[in-house]
Order: sequence, then structure tokens, then C-alpha cells
Amino acid sequence: MALELYKRKVKHFLISLFTLIVLSMAITIASLSIGPSMLDPKEIFKTVFLSPFGMATSDSSVRLVAMLRVSRTVASFFCGVALSIAGILMQTTTRNPLADPYIFGLSSTALTAISLTIILSPSTAVYRYNLVVVAFIGALLGYFMTMMLAKLAGGGSLALVLAGIAVASLFSGVSHVLLYIVQRVIGTPIVYFLMGSTNTVLYRDIAFIAYPTIALLIFSIALFKPLNAYLYGDDYAKQLGFNPKLISLISTGIASLLTAITIAFIGIVGFVGLAAPHIARFFVGSDHRFSIPITALVGGILTTFADIVVRLVSMYSGAVGELPLGVVTSIIGAPFLAYLIAKRMRQ
Amino acid sequence: MKIVVEDVEVWYNSVKALDRVTLSISSGELAFVIGPNGAGKTTLLKTIASVVKPRKGVVYIDGKAVSSLSPKDISRLLSYVDPHISRSIPSTVLEFLLTARYPHQNMLSFSISTKDLEIVEKVSRQLNIKQFLDRRLDQLSSGELQRVLIARALIQEPKVMLLDEPSAFLDLRYRLEVLDYIKSVVKRDNIVAIVAIHDIYLASLYADKIIVMNGGSVVACGAPEEVLKKDILEKVYGVKIAIANVDGRKIVIPLEPLEKGVQI
Repeated sequence: MALELYKRKVKHFLISLFTLIVLSMAITIASLSIGPSMLDPKEIFKTVFLSPFGMATSDSSVRLVAMLRVSRTVASFFCGVALSIAGILMQTTTRNPLADPYIFGLSSTALTAISLTIILSPSTAVYRYNLVVVAFIGALLGYFMTMMLAKLAGGGSLALVLAGIAVASLFSGVSHVLLYIVQRVIGTPIVYFLMGSTNTVLYRDIAFIAYPTIALLIFSIALFKPLNAYLYGDDYAKQLGFNPKLISLISTGIASLLTAITIAFIGIVGFVGLAAPHIARFFVGSDHRFSIPITALVGGILTTFADIVVRLVSMYSGAVGELPLGVVTSIIGAPFLAYLIAKRMRQ
Repeated sequence: MKIVVEDVEVWYNSVKALDRVTLSISSGELAFVIGPNGAGKTTLLKTIASVVKPRKGVVYIDGKAVSSLSPKDISRLLSYVDPHISRSIPSTVLEFLLTARYPHQNMLSFSISTKDLEIVEKVSRQLNIKQFLDRRLDQLSSGELQRVLIARALIQEPKVMLLDEPSAFLDLRYRLEVLDYIKSVVKRDNIVAIVAIHDIYLASLYADKIIVMNGGSVVACGAPEEVLKKDILEKVYGVKIAIANVDGRKIVIPLEPLEKGVQI
């Protein structure tokens, strides 16, 4: 029984993994082909995946346009990966299924830290990776603020969510004001940070988004045993020889760093970190050795999909400029929050 | 192997929870800790499990002080059944039970060995929880959860097993079955089990040794027939007690409070 059940779980995992990898490839090709000048997905497929076999397209205009979309495609995919791992780590360390970098206020405090830094020293904004450090400190501060406020409110799981919403609202207001001042200082519109955009990501930036995210993803998967033990309580983790405080500190650090990366390059993209872990758990259960990789892929696919929707809406509405990315992820992710709250309150 | 608790004193802030507790239990023994609420039963278990650190005194397992062992060594040596586990993130019974094998595994080994799964299989068959291995923890009844928690401790294959109120929430049949199974494991694997329990009758059925606690100290310690005496129990519980004889078994029956604590 146990053996068959476990085998079935591994099978579910492998099927989900395979399906999601295929889906990721498909959405990457779609993201490279869709835009004001539509490209043939077949040509893109050849160029991206078959070029080692000498099958790359000879059409140089296809290559050129696709090149322009590489940075936003990679950025949106890894932004989703980063946010969803941050989400699952926060859900585990707070043992709260409603945890997410946006809902708990980390994103807003990180952005506030960034805008303050740009006002004080505008030149730091030239290289966005400088901003990651600042955003990391901001995210950590936001997390501890939320935890402290929740403790004051009695420490229940809903107290935590409400504390997060209070911190998030306050600092999204503050960062909004600061970003208006930033516009005057550096003379370019930078308000898109508030709801996230991949439009401004530069080709030179994508290495700074992708590699740290992959490294932190692998590191998180390596922590699957302590995380699994942590799920059932501090005393339980202690029982199995793990240090619960250390687990929580390390995961909070990773989650904050991942959030900081997305904020520094793309801005606030909400609800991906909430939705992706739930979707992953639905397919492979809550064992982190399976749920973290699946969560990462689901998050990447969701965000890339949202980024395609952003472009389609701006193409067909004929409006000037683009929708922010965070708007679309909110529309996809917020119903999840509603569903989870309804389920939780009834218990 | 032997557990020796020597002159242990535990404080929660300014409240003394254990006062100069000294006792010893050898392997192959199933010991029960009884006593009124707040007597220090749970604290004693937690101190042996090294979840709570004593201010004074030492707990020795197999001649080694528990405080000198690494958390990993302790997790291989001993398991403590905590009745409170968090179930807010949904996970299945099997996922929970598999975590109990972690002390015996390498931290990074990704696959689960067939042997580990066979242990889970065997224990879950014995405790009759096999049929809900793929159910979610938050969908179990309290009695089912209780059996899952005990199964977890057994799957960990410890040398010392500490159980806090394992009979709570269980119906008559499972109270007897679960304790019966624990006793058989204790004898078969020659381990130590210490059980904190309120039900004196159950203790008298299965105990090799009974430890009576009151107000943080040990009042009596020994074989059931030495300890379950009218005068000792009446003093500890403040309850009038009769000892009946049914089929040659001495059964403790609480009659009425010695002093009416609740005024109507």
C-alpha cells in the first residue's frame, strides 16, 4: 500500500514535470513570437531549440525581432519562478497557506527601499543589480514588520494576513509618493515599478535575474527534508534533529532575496507566489522534493502567460503603452485568495 | 540500555515544574507516568526528550548525558509523540509518516528506500491506519490522528519512545490495541517506552513500572502492585478511592472527591 502509493506519487510528479517542461517550451516560443510584429512559431522553435543541429532559421528579421523579445521572455519566466519559490517558502515557514511576498508586504517595502535609494543617490539605478541589495534589505524589514504586527494582534493565521495587508498598503502608498519624486530626479517615468513591467528589462540584466534564481531554486530543493519536517510544527522539526529557527531564518532569507530580485528588475507582481504553490500541491502533494520544482515551473508559466496577455491587450486595444504585468497576475491570482479565505474562514 | 534521570529541576520562567526528580528505567520496560493535572508528567517527558532543558540535574540515556548529544543523535535515539502538530498546510498521512525516517537518512538523499516504505507499511497495518495513508491529515478524526501520531513514533524506530496521553480520543478497542502493540514492540525490540496517561486502569494493565507524580516531584515509583495503593492515590488525587478485585486484577475505582472543591 505504502509502496504503491509512493510509486504513484513519483509517477504523478514525473508526468507533471514533463508536461510543465513542454508547456514552458511552448509558452517561451509563444512569447517570442507574439507582439506587434508576429513571427512564425515554427521558425522560432527551430532557432531556439534546433540551432545546435544546424536548423536555425535563415530569415534574419525573425532572429532580430526574436532577440528583442528574449529579455522580456526570460525576465517574465524567471520572475514567476522566483516569486513562486518565495511564496512556497513563506507558506511553509509561516505554516500559512495565504502567505505570498505581495500579501505579506515584502514587495512594497522592497520597492520603498529602492525608491528611497534612487532619490538619495540617483546613479545606483543605472545598474539594476545594485538595487537588488537595497530591495533585499527592504524585503527583510517588511517581513519582520509584518511578523511583529501579527504577534501584537495575537499571532493567528488571519492576524498574519491582515498585518501583511496593513504593511503592504502603507508601503505601497509610500513608494507611490516616492516614485513620483524619483521621476523628477531621474527624468524618466518609473511608476511602472508599482505594478511590474518586463518592458524595460535590458538584455544585460537577464543574467542577473536567471542565474541567482536558478541557484536559489536548487538550494531550496536541497532543503526539502528540513522544510517537510518544519511543516508539522517547531517541536516536530526539533524532534527529527532539525533546528526550526535556523530553517525559518534561511527560508525567509531566500524568499526575501528572490522577491528583491524581481522588484529590482521588474517591480511588484502580485499573487503569483500565492497561486503557484497551491496549484503545485494539488498535483504532487506537499512533499517539498516534488512541490518546489513543480511550483517553480507553474509560476514561470503563469507569469510568462500574463506577459503575453499584456502585449495582446495593448495590441488589440490600440492604446498607447502597455498594461502593467501585475494587473494581469492579480486577475489570475486574486480569485485564489478569495477561495482560500472562504475555505479557511469556514473551518 | 538504561534511562537515568538524576536530580532534575525544570523551571518555566519563575514557576518550578519539576523538583528534584530522580528515577531510572531499563530497556524492555514500559513505564507509565500518572498524576493529576499540572503534576509535571508532560514536562518530565519533554525533559527526557531534550525539548525542555533542565536548570539542574542530568538525563542519561545509555550512560550518555542527553545534553551532550547532537540533535541528530537524539532524533535517532528517541521519539516523543507530541499530540499537537500543525496541519494548516494540507499534507497526506503518508507524507507525514515518511518524515519519521529522516533521522536515519542522509539529508540530501532524494529517493526513499524500499526498506523505509516497508517499515511504514508494517506499522500502518498494525495500527490499522493503512486505509487512510493517502488521506489528508486535516480530514482525520481525532482518534485516527492519534493513531497516525503513534505510528509516526514507531516508524522512527527509536530506542526510547515517549508518549503523551496516547489513549486520549481513542475508543475502547483502540486504547487496548494501541497499548498492547506498544508493549509488544517494547518487549520485541528491547526498547524503553514512557507513557504519560490519566487512565490508571490502563496503566495497571500494561505497566512494568508506574511513576506517580504530584506537584513536580515523584511521589512513588515501582511495580503497579507496589504503587497503586489506596493511601498514595488518595493523597495525590484528593479523591476517595476503592480498590476492587475483578478476575484477580486489582482495579482502582475513584469514588468521590475528598473535599468538595466546587461549591454549588
